[in-house]
Amino acid sequence: MIELWICGLVAVYAAIRIAFIKNNLLKLPFLNVIGFAVAGSLVLILKDPLSLAAAAAFFIGTTLESNAIASRIAGGKKE
Amino acid sequence: MIDDISILLFGFLAIAGTVMAAFSREKFEKLISVGIIAAGIMPFIIAGGYTDVAIAVSLIAPITTIFILMVCRSDADDYS
Amino acid sequence: MQLFPVKENATVSGQKIYLTNNIKEYQRVWFDMLNGIINIIAAAIVAWIIFVTTDILLGLPKKGGVSGAEAIGRSVEEEGGDLNGGYMIGNIVCSPDASAGTLLAACGVYVYGIYGGLAAVVLVFIGNRICHDKGYAGTTGAIIASFVIWGLSFYGISPEQFIAGMVLAIVTIQGLSHKYSSRLLGKLWRFRS
Repeated sequence: MIELWICGLVAVYAAIRIAFIKNNLLKLPFLNVIGFAVAGSLVLILKDPLSLAAAAAFFIGTTLESNAIASRIAGGKKE
Repeated sequence: MIDDISILLFGFLAIAGTVMAAFSREKFEKLISVGIIAAGIMPFIIAGGYTDVAIAVSLIAPITTIFILMVCRSDADDYS
Repeated sequence: MQLFPVKENATVSGQKIYLTNNIKEYQRVWFDMLNGIINIIAAAIVAWIIFVTTDILLGLPKKGGVSGAEAIGRSVEEEGGDLNGGYMIGNIVCSPDASAGTLLAACGVYVYGIYGGLAAVVLVFIGNRICHDKGYAGTTGAIIASFVIWGLSFYGISPEQFIAGMVLAIVTIQGLSHKYSSRLLGKLWRFRS
C-alpha cells in the first residue's frame, strides 16, 4: 500500500513542478516522470495480466505523445 | 485496491491538469496539461474494473494530441 | 489500509468507532509499513544501477535518436548542463529505453513471476518497433531486469518494492535538477568512452 502512495506523491510533485518551469522543452521530462508513476500504479491497483497490458499501452502512448510534442517544438515535420 | 489517500492524490493530479490547461497562454503548455489530465484519470478507470476501456483510452488520447498538432500546423500554413 | 485500525464489531450506539483500543496494535501496523521503506530504497539503488549501466553501455548519450531528443539535449545544455547527459535525458523521454524496460519488467514479475517478466519483454519489444527505434535498449534492459528482479524476490525484496524503487530512481535522473544529473551522466559517459 505504501508503494501506491509513493507513486501518487511522485506524480503530484512532478505536476507541481511542471507549472513553474518556463521553458517548454524542459517540461517534457517531468511529463515522463508522471507517465512512469501512473504506469506503475496501474499494476499496483489491480493485479491482472490485462492491467499489465494497459500499463504498457499507457506508457507507450505517453512516450509517443512526448515525442510528437518535442519534435514539433523543435520545428520539425508533420508526424 | 485503491484507498482514500490514493483517490485524493490522483484526483488532485486530474484537477491540477485542468487548472493549468485553463489558465495557460501558450499552446504547448495547454497540450502538455491535457496529457496530465489523461494520466490522472487512468487509475480510476482501472479501479472500476474496466481494463479494456483503459487500454482503449490510453491509445486514443495521445493520438488525439497528435491530430491536434496536425491541425495547428495546417492552420498556420494556410495563413502564411 | 486504514489509518486507524478498527477493533472488530466495535460500536457506540450503532456507529462504528474508528479509534484503536490498543496503542501497540496501531504502532505495529505502522512499523510493518515503514519496514518496507529500507527495501524500497535498496530496490531503487539496484534499479538505478541496472538502467543507467545498460543505457550508457548501449551508447545512448552519443547522439539524439530523434529530433526531439536533440532539442531537449540542447535545451539542457543552455541551462548549464552537459550535452551528452542532455542527449540521454532526451532519449529517455522520446523513446522507450532501458528505464521503461525495467519498470515494465518489474510490473510483469509482480503479476506472474518470471513468465510475466518475459511477457513484459515482448510488450516492450512491440513498443520499440512502434516508435521506430533503431536500437533495442528497451528490450535489453527488460531482459536483464526481469532476471535480476525475479532472482532478488527470493531474497526478501518483493517486486512491488521494485516498482516503487524504479519510480524513485527515475525521479533522481529526470525529476530533480536537469543540470546536475546531466553532468553526472556526462561524467559516466566520458568514463566509458
